[in-house]
Amino acid sequence: MIFNAVEIMTPILLAALGGLFAELAGVLNIALEGLILAGAFAGILAGAASGSLVVGMLAGALAGGLLAAVFTFFSIRLRANIFITGLAVNLLAAGSIPFISTWMFGTKGVLRFPDLPRLPRLLEGVTSGVGFIDSLLFGHSATVYLAWLLVPLALVALYRTPFGLRLRAVGAREDSVIIAGVDAVAYRRIAVLISGVAAGLAGAAISLRLGVYLPNISAGRGWIALVAIYLGYRHPIGILIAALLFGFTESLAGAAQGLLAIPGTVLLGLPYAITVVAMITYSALRARGQRRRRFMDAHF
Amino acid sequence: MAEKPAASRAPPRAQTPETVVALLAALLVTVLLLVFGSPNPARALRAFFLGPFSNRYYFGNMLDGAGLLLIAGLGVSAAFRAGVFNLGGDGQIYIAGLVAAVVCLALPQAPALIGIVLALVAAVAVGMLLAGVCGLFKYLWGTDELITSFLISAAIVPSVSYLIVGPLRNQQSNLLTTERIAEHFRLLRLLPPSNLNLALLFALLLAPLAYFLLYHTVRGYELRITGLNREFARYGGIAIGAYTAMPMAISGGLHGLSGAFAVLGTHHAAIQGFTIGLGWNAIAVALIGRNHPLLIIPAALIFAYMEAGAKAAMLHTEFSFELGAIIQAVIFFMITAQVALPRLWLRPRGRSTAA
Repeated sequence: MIFNAVEIMTPILLAALGGLFAELAGVLNIALEGLILAGAFAGILAGAASGSLVVGMLAGALAGGLLAAVFTFFSIRLRANIFITGLAVNLLAAGSIPFISTWMFGTKGVLRFPDLPRLPRLLEGVTSGVGFIDSLLFGHSATVYLAWLLVPLALVALYRTPFGLRLRAVGAREDSVIIAGVDAVAYRRIAVLISGVAAGLAGAAISLRLGVYLPNISAGRGWIALVAIYLGYRHPIGILIAALLFGFTESLAGAAQGLLAIPGTVLLGLPYAITVVAMITYSALRARGQRRRRFMDAHF
Repeated sequence: MAEKPAASRAPPRAQTPETVVALLAALLVTVLLLVFGSPNPARALRAFFLGPFSNRYYFGNMLDGAGLLLIAGLGVSAAFRAGVFNLGGDGQIYIAGLVAAVVCLALPQAPALIGIVLALVAAVAVGMLLAGVCGLFKYLWGTDELITSFLISAAIVPSVSYLIVGPLRNQQSNLLTTERIAEHFRLLRLLPPSNLNLALLFALLLAPLAYFLLYHTVRGYELRITGLNREFARYGGIAIGAYTAMPMAISGGLHGLSGAFAVLGTHHAAIQGFTIGLGWNAIAVALIGRNHPLLIIPAALIFAYMEAGAKAAMLHTEFSFELGAIIQAVIFFMITAQVALPRLWLRPRGRSTAA
């Protein structure tokens, strides 16, 4: 169960870490879902064509980055409404992939790639003697370790470099940043591109692990990642915990399905339901905390 | 967003040149896809442009689709106008359709008027509830209504599908559908054998009513001002809190209404996935109509025409995938983009601050 949770968590973590850059630069990137989908499709195509998983991951990142570039061209360069263009990205991915798939393979359904190498598992056989730590840390797909590696990387990039400081400042105090001579627009574009690359990686991680491409393979993970950013208090470590929580709930739900005989169709909606409940709870708790702080400030 | 719970977004707006450019771009992309994707481009193009007018059946169905789009589009713009986003339209329409069907199926003996009114009220109520709670959470705790409305809708859609193909399924039918509602609940067909029915007239009355409410009442004025500038509205003494949950509820209610008409007027049953996509199309319609109730009428007609054309092109050739999402994507990319040439070239590069 813990093992599964970590595997489920990985794409969410990847996409959320990237989305954090956009979020901190002041862009609520609702296009994550479409970016993941593009990465999943491009990743498995390139992986199968080249026979290399690394090429597959890079292709996923590239597809996510390119689509994010289209996104920033319209939303930032042409100043289109960022939410409407975000929806456009999602629709474009969902609409054009069946088109390309039909054109290349004659089907818009499931694509199987028997020649695709299997994603290697790392640190297999390593043990600490404690079962729970073992299933948390060892023997996972390579992509899990990639995602973990990106947590400290994001931490350093955001909090220990001038780039990160400016990026966060663009989101928090745009006016002062512009007065200080920073090109806020450029930072925002770069932030969205980073989130696109990360979401593309997340998508490739999903499809390369499965070895097949299914329609709507992203299954809401972009939206879950978006919510994980808030639940993680917009901080890489927090996002790691939030993503792990989502992983746990999903693997629990998977286990409960067998026990409670919940119809499979209904279960498709479950990740969304869990996510929205988590989001509402979070914001309610947060609002109460803020109210208490304001009260304390005012009276003591 | 979580940092600034009271803030609202500027309503997405489009100017006339952008609207024209967006529509032309959508048309161009559709034509290109048909030419390059279809084994028989000439037939596909002919079907796309002329198909909707080729006979009473297609023509009536197109108008019927426009009516549903008009109602849902008014719903989208009700939220946009107040600076809130209802992205859950798809789910609200779908579940409202099921609710309307269930009400009619549960009361087969009820007089026509009572059954229809009850179905409409129940459908509107469920739509209002689903969108309204998102507005309420936004008002209470600053929870982003854009995300919650989408997530709630996405969570509901599979359950509605499950009910239609599972417990409520009509076992006699080959389609994945509920039983058909009783004859006397079905709205009068205007152009048989097409699906066109009284709902279109209702939709055409609704638009001027929305126009009147929005532009000639105090509440409409307050809603518009709140959407344009929340701080200014508050400074002017408008109780802006009310204009978060209320527009969301109205928006959900109108989506619900369109779902109910899809059952009472168009399909006479709730079919699996029968309204899926209508919510997203309605966003495109609201944007093409620049969130103006009267302009949404032609917007709905134009969009319904493109949709019907795409459907005809798919029926007449072996063109077997949905053009809908791609057409929507093109419109969504272009419609609020500031593509008018002088502005693009006169603005110093990379110095725009609005994002």
